Amino acid sequence: MSRESAAPQTPKPYHYQRTKPSSRNKSSTRSVLQYNRKPQLAGETPRVVVITSGKGGVGKTTTTANVGLSLARHGFSVVAIDADVGLRNLDLLLGLENRVNYTVIEVLNGDCRLDQALVRDKRWSNFELLCISKPRSKLPIGFGGKALVWLVDALKDRQEGCPDFILIDCPAGIDAGFITAITPANEAVLVTTPDITSLRDADRVTGLLECDGIKDIKMIVNRVRTDLIRGEDMMSVLDVQEMLGLALLGVIPEDSEVIRSTNRGFPLVLNKPPTLAGLAFEQAAWRLVEQDSMQAVMVEEEPKKRGFFSFFGG
Amino acid sequence: MIAWVPSICVSSHQISSNVLEIRTKLRFNYGCLDWNRKRTCRKFVLRALSDSGSSVDDNKRIQNEVVDAKRGRVLLENLKFQAARLQETVSYFPPVVFVMKRQSGTNFAIGLCILATILVIAVRLYVVKKSRYSHPGSVADLVRRGQLRSDRRGISAPLKYEDPFNNPLVKVGKSTSTIEMCGKVYRLAPVTLTKEQQTIHQKRRSHAYQWKRPTIFLREGDPIPPDVDPDTIRWIPANHPFATTATDIDEDLAQNNMYQKHGVPFRIQAEHEALQRKLEALQSGQKLNKLVVDPGAAKDFERPFKSHLKPDERVEQSLPSNHLGSNPSKSKQVPNSFGSNSNSEEMPKA
Repeated sequence: MSRESAAPQTPKPYHYQRTKPSSRNKSSTRSVLQYNRKPQLAGETPRVVVITSGKGGVGKTTTTANVGLSLARHGFSVVAIDADVGLRNLDLLLGLENRVNYTVIEVLNGDCRLDQALVRDKRWSNFELLCISKPRSKLPIGFGGKALVWLVDALKDRQEGCPDFILIDCPAGIDAGFITAITPANEAVLVTTPDITSLRDADRVTGLLECDGIKDIKMIVNRVRTDLIRGEDMMSVLDVQEMLGLALLGVIPEDSEVIRSTNRGFPLVLNKPPTLAGLAFEQAAWRLVEQDSMQAVMVEEEPKKRGFFSFFGG
Repeated sequence: MIAWVPSICVSSHQISSNVLEIRTKLRFNYGCLDWNRKRTCRKFVLRALSDSGSSVDDNKRIQNEVVDAKRGRVLLENLKFQAARLQETVSYFPPVVFVMKRQSGTNFAIGLCILATILVIAVRLYVVKKSRYSHPGSVADLVRRGQLRSDRRGISAPLKYEDPFNNPLVKVGKSTSTIEMCGKVYRLAPVTLTKEQQTIHQKRRSHAYQWKRPTIFLREGDPIPPDVDPDTIRWIPANHPFATTATDIDEDLAQNNMYQKHGVPFRIQAEHEALQRKLEALQSGQKLNKLVVDPGAAKDFERPFKSHLKPDERVEQSLPSNHLGSNPSKSKQVPNSFGSNSNSEEMPKA
């Protein structure tokens, strides 16, 4: 599958106007709150999106799990591929680790068919997981990229129909695993945290993606703390954007629920009541569907208006 | 007035709440007095101003003065009366020590109350601590479930946030510059990135990172093949944990396997056919053995099979003796080209 033939969708043009703040605010509000309707799928299917970061531990797998399940909840068919050959974790986050019996390696070997290797989530049946290999098996390096391209082609021609989204969870680093993961992708989601180590890696990875022909790159800024930003102990999201020059797909606040949901194998977006980070992931998924980007970001928490009886704890 | 202060001071060591109440009352009365006195002064000032009146006015004025003087006297008497009342009150109440002594009978009840309160707090803390450890997703919960013995995970009741299209927890403020999420109000700031800035960043990166996707992967120490761009070579260390540069893969076969939609997977079928052939050979071999066997050498059959030999070897051993020549062709043996011991390792967890 050539990247040119897949015609990467250009993101919608920005409507930012420096002179008209009022009109900007109106449009930003619309892009922030997009509930009460189903998002409209933009671009050709399947949308092959690689979720990458460069640095490890910034939340690639968490993003893949949550955005993937959000997309499934919005009614789109999703196949999430864990392309991390050595250290796969996506199955754990989704709580599907017991059900992974076959991987892409077994499919290529002829031990099973592709449909047998796909693990369907019981909670949302239009979400499927596919792992590239088992932890201790070895993959011929130059072969991985080719195998993923075949895999995408095979998914296109499935009996059930072509999936709307193929999300590829990329391993950390820019090693062979990264090269394998980005091979079939048409667009990329760059996950970063607002710290300089992560930003340097993110910039390098963006450069490599652009060199490889992936031009549609959006970023998710993860683990944002508004209290630290207010105290100028953390870079703001707008600072991050200024440094990387990428369109914003989402801003995920730091949330202790992430650890809990990871341990439970139950993604945040399914939490009831929904958490702040879960809502942010949901909105990011929404923008991904519509190939939209954020026009406004949450800056800081405003103090709540205190009532007349607030002195008494009211 | 000055006389009150020492009396209160003297009795200060005996002050109870009642005494304090009286004192406040006294202050109030004192305020009243003060107000009266001011009013009197005002009258004197008025009198000074209206000094140019007739004799009738003078008489009235004298009468007024008399009345004022009488009022003053009454007030002074009132004051003295108040003071006397206070002294009586103070002398009426017993000292605090005696009050305490009288209430010593209730000390036990108070102590009991305090003990009960402490007990309730302790129990509450214990319950909170316990509930914290049994919280789903906590580390203790993982331990309870056997540290990622994940088959237990499915037991916990799934939380399903059903409706993503109608979320009451996200509200946009009327001014559209604020958003309320999960009960917290956040201020919104517009994104300032322009298309031009994006292009500038892209150009910067294209200058900084000139990269070609590696097409050839070589193990360290391998010679570089001719007509290969050295930039596109990725060197893989020999001890890489999960990467191998082995290229003995039948790519067409792998591709066909990937595209296979129906039927038995290739390798399974190949193994099955190979086993079938072996079984047939074995069966036919046994039949022939029966025909050829010398009844005098029946002891051979009594001996158990050599246990250290694998079934395949046994078949291979038996076949040449039968001179059948129906060895399964080597080409049918399907090598596991990926070197993954997938059949033996990673068996599904119980």
